Amino acid sequence: MKQKTLASAIGAMMLMGMGGGVLAAAPDWGTVPATEVVLFYPGVSPLEWITKGTEHGGARALKKGETCADCHDEEASDMGRKMASGQKIEPAPIPGKAGFIPVKVQASHDGENLYMRFAWKQPAASGAAPLDAKNPVKIAFMLEDGGKVELADQAGCWATCHLDSRTMPGADEAKTKYVKGGSLAEGKFYDLYQWRSGENKGFDGHVAETRVMEGGKALVSAEGKLAGDEWSVVFVRKLAGGEGDVTLAPGNAYNFGFAIHDDSAAGRFHHVSLGYKLGLDTDAHIKAVKQ
Amino acid sequence: MTEQDKVGGNNEAAATGWWARLRRPSTRYSFGAILAVGFVVGVFFWGGFNTAMEATNTEKFCISCHEMYDNVYQEYKETIHYTNRTGVRAVCSDCHVPKDWTHKMIRKIQASREVWGKITGSIDTREKFEAKRLQLARNEWKRMKASDSRECRNCHSLESMNSEAQKQRARKQHEMAREDNMTCIDCHKGIAHHKPEGMTEQDEE
Repeated sequence: MKQKTLASAIGAMMLMGMGGGVLAAAPDWGTVPATEVVLFYPGVSPLEWITKGTEHGGARALKKGETCADCHDEEASDMGRKMASGQKIEPAPIPGKAGFIPVKVQASHDGENLYMRFAWKQPAASGAAPLDAKNPVKIAFMLEDGGKVELADQAGCWATCHLDSRTMPGADEAKTKYVKGGSLAEGKFYDLYQWRSGENKGFDGHVAETRVMEGGKALVSAEGKLAGDEWSVVFVRKLAGGEGDVTLAPGNAYNFGFAIHDDSAAGRFHHVSLGYKLGLDTDAHIKAVKQ
Repeated sequence: MTEQDKVGGNNEAAATGWWARLRRPSTRYSFGAILAVGFVVGVFFWGGFNTAMEATNTEKFCISCHEMYDNVYQEYKETIHYTNRTGVRAVCSDCHVPKDWTHKMIRKIQASREVWGKITGSIDTREKFEAKRLQLARNEWKRMKASDSRECRNCHSLESMNSEAQKQRARKQHEMAREDNMTCIDCHKGIAHHKPEGMTEQDEE
């Protein structure tokens, strides 16, 4: 009986994998190890806040070269709860907003493409007015190569998040993410991938002097679905790419962070990961093993 | 009147003065009786002095001034040093007055300036307090830094900390504190009162 159940489960998983359609070479996700990463609601904690010693006690640790995850990855859910409820650094809390979202992350590659799968349980809706009515859910991840962007090795996506960007209190609503000294020519940028549930469409952009949502050449596909209350989204991107894409090579690790806009959120009202490393055939927080 | 009379007259006056009485050996009381009375009076004097000094070390005394009660006391009441799961409380003097006698006396003498501040009303309104609190806080931080956070260390020490029982963030920060030979107040400003407006990055270094 058990064997039969197992066989059915494997069969179902294979079908699900094939359900990816075009992804002929998609890995068998049932065999790819999953890492749980807790995304948390970040309130108003842009780069300027995390580096300001009078506000953030960890600014001293950052100056010493510690990473955000070194101090915070065990308490991401607690931090999220405090900020979502308005107890800390959130001047406009949304009643009922989830404080955190645990996400299972799987990564694999086949020498040509990188496959990333994110799966999480849909949190309860807050009931607040949607900020992005077209897209109940969006998920994005960013990659950075070599720590060329200041603090990228330590702070993940925070290097792109600023106090003067849209939805921050009093900020210009036209200003998006950017990195200090951002330049594609100098390699100072984050490679950005996003999937939007409303359009069921993937975007391949980057963040340099400003955020650009399209123009990348690496993304092959991005598909997501909701089964019951479980979301799963699979991105496939080429290891190689064009301008604004980080070129990936086995044996290397890259700065990696991701975020979910849940509950029809926009701008800063998302759930984010701390900065981690994605390694291809090399030890890292998330390891993409060749299949 | 001759010069001699004048001198003799002065001597007589001096002989009946309080200083002369103190200097003149007693012919009526035994040495032992004087010693015993001196001892008893000494005990009462010292006891009284110490009691009075300890009275100024109580929380009740500190918050008897509205300057303390309305401002810093209300902030302190929100903190773990006021109430916590183990029921140990650190009152004002535990952090702000040294325990050992020499340093305590020095601090008490310095506190006479605070009495002057009370008399002249230097922080007798919320506005005056807010305007001055950064300066006052800096004075206290400087004192704590100079003494290697002596008053914190009356209860806490890096050696007796069980880092296993600490949160990841605290564990990391205390590791750094050990490596860099830091002192408690370097990081723990605002642990019992709100941080003052206008603090600079230098205040955190």
